[in-house]
Amino acid sequence: MPIRKLPEAPPSIHLLGPTVFLVALGVGMGESYMWPRLVLVFGPEIRWLFLIGVTLQAVVMLEMARYAMATGESIFFGAARVFKPLMWFFFAVAILVYIWPGHLSAGAAAFERITGIPWVIAACVGLVLVGVVFSLAKVIYNLLENVLSLLIGVLVVGTAVIAALVGDWHDLSSTLAGMFHFGYFPSQALSESWFPIVVGSIAFAGPSGMQQMWYTLHLRDSGAGMGAHVPSIRGLRHAGAEEAMPARGFMFDTSDPGEMAKWRGWRRWVTFDALLLFWGITMLVTISFTVLAQAASRQNPDVRSLIESGDREAALNAMADAFSSVGGSALGTVFFGFIALIGLNATLGLFDSFSRGQADMTYFFVRGARRFRMAHLYAAYLWGLIAFGILILLFGPADGPSSILDILAFLSTFAMGAYCVVLLLVNNTLLPKPIRPKLPTNLVIGFGAVFYLGMLFYSLVRFGVVVG
Amino acid sequence: MTARTRLRSAAELAFPGFVVGLLAGAAGGALTAFVAGSAGWALLATLALGVPLGLLGGGYGLVLATGRVRLGVFAPAALYWLVGFPLARLVHEVVTRLAVTGRVALPDDLLGFLTYQAVISAGYAIGFLWLHERIAPHWFARVGGHNPAAQRLVTRYVAHARSVRAARQRARSRRPGSRRRPNRPGQPDWSD
Repeated sequence: MPIRKLPEAPPSIHLLGPTVFLVALGVGMGESYMWPRLVLVFGPEIRWLFLIGVTLQAVVMLEMARYAMATGESIFFGAARVFKPLMWFFFAVAILVYIWPGHLSAGAAAFERITGIPWVIAACVGLVLVGVVFSLAKVIYNLLENVLSLLIGVLVVGTAVIAALVGDWHDLSSTLAGMFHFGYFPSQALSESWFPIVVGSIAFAGPSGMQQMWYTLHLRDSGAGMGAHVPSIRGLRHAGAEEAMPARGFMFDTSDPGEMAKWRGWRRWVTFDALLLFWGITMLVTISFTVLAQAASRQNPDVRSLIESGDREAALNAMADAFSSVGGSALGTVFFGFIALIGLNATLGLFDSFSRGQADMTYFFVRGARRFRMAHLYAAYLWGLIAFGILILLFGPADGPSSILDILAFLSTFAMGAYCVVLLLVNNTLLPKPIRPKLPTNLVIGFGAVFYLGMLFYSLVRFGVVVG
Repeated sequence: MTARTRLRSAAELAFPGFVVGLLAGAAGGALTAFVAGSAGWALLATLALGVPLGLLGGGYGLVLATGRVRLGVFAPAALYWLVGFPLARLVHEVVTRLAVTGRVALPDDLLGFLTYQAVISAGYAIGFLWLHERIAPHWFARVGGHNPAAQRLVTRYVAHARSVRAARQRARSRRPGSRRRPNRPGQPDWSD
């Protein structure tokens, strides 16, 4: 086992870190639409399930970070160490689930409402721009952290100010109190039409699918923990300056008290990230959008029925109209601006993460791939994704063929259960004893595995439908 | 240092926070103002929320310059806005009511109003700090040539960045001459 020194943790608990990627990916339609919808249908008491879902994801995030910071390896590498086909499963799921450009549609449609530019054109131009920017960047991580930090900063400040203006104490207190109504589960939520949606909303609260796994790659590139020993991925134009990738990760000397003190520093750093940035911002955005949805449905009862009916676009339009009726057309425009901003954040994060993950697995586990630099593989996946995305936007179904939508939803949830199992295995068998997770953490991750896989199969067997 | 120089120095320290606060206030203020649908009301509401948030944001920069608050740390910013944000919203409400009804009036449920704004302030604090930390180092570096206080802040930012980079480079420089340690029994072989 190659032993290296663990670098010092950052001297202060600093706000800017790789969690920005997880926030960008995780704060999406679930937070801005799905949970407000469930609150309108079942009441604020249903939010205790959201609390469980996001808290579970925060623990998963900490455990992903444990492996990545201790070794400088991605969780994909860890999965391959346990059982290589498991890693190829994640490789295949990423391609099947994430190549469809459907996630662009809500944001681009909102952009169309603001500017009048047809959404397909905006989405295609956006895709090419993303590719060009990432190809020209010297170090992609630095560029993306800067861009996403500004976008999310604007999103968070704007969401807070709008929530401060539109909502009131009653909306907020009912939303907050609802988070502690443990055990509330109305009989209607157990129906064939709602159970898969409720379970899907819990599973997809915060980052869903493989987003947590990609977070380990961002941690490595940001130089967190032993990631400092691994070079950052560069843009295609600067690929020549990329240092050679080591063939494997590294480990620090866990019998050295000084090294263990530094390790505890890193754990504090990432815990702060998990609690404040990930948990806090996800909560803030969801609470704010729930308050907005409640305010909109008071303004216009049609909003409630449209949101309940599940027509996302009509519901978002109705919400914007409700805000326009109170605050003029600008308020509706700003609402769409936020939806577009969320879409842009998610797209930037997703394209980078997908390419990063696939390049990582290809580089380390495909024979002959090391003839290329990581930057070349990253660029190949990125431009492949963009080219496929444009073709599908122009000629095909954006979300993927309708016949396989259920399979994609199944794979996405199954991957979440699978990564919980992988986490239990890698952290408890591959890491040295002093830095392995404690029993309560293992219980939470074990609960995650049982929950994601159990609910997935229960929904399939009981109702014959996939969660979503 | 003359009074005028001191004022200029303070204004430069306050500028990044003022811009973030003003922008945030302007976005929210404009929304409220559009209720009336006129540019005049838009300007009034923008100023009613943007100026208090901007002034308080600037105040945060001045607090930073005293050296009593660590750069980029959340807790002091959260405490600052826990008081500041409800205050700014209260000013906004009172000014808006004054402009609409012609008399000074507080929100109906003052306690509920302030509590709600205080809870929302945590989210605002995250966003404010996030943006401030992105803008301020560049601005302070720009004015640091003639502003010693800004230069001191730049030095602190640089020292912070340098310590992070140095730790990373120290880690990198050890890469070629690494030592190998035999595996303990039961531990996986990492060299596979």
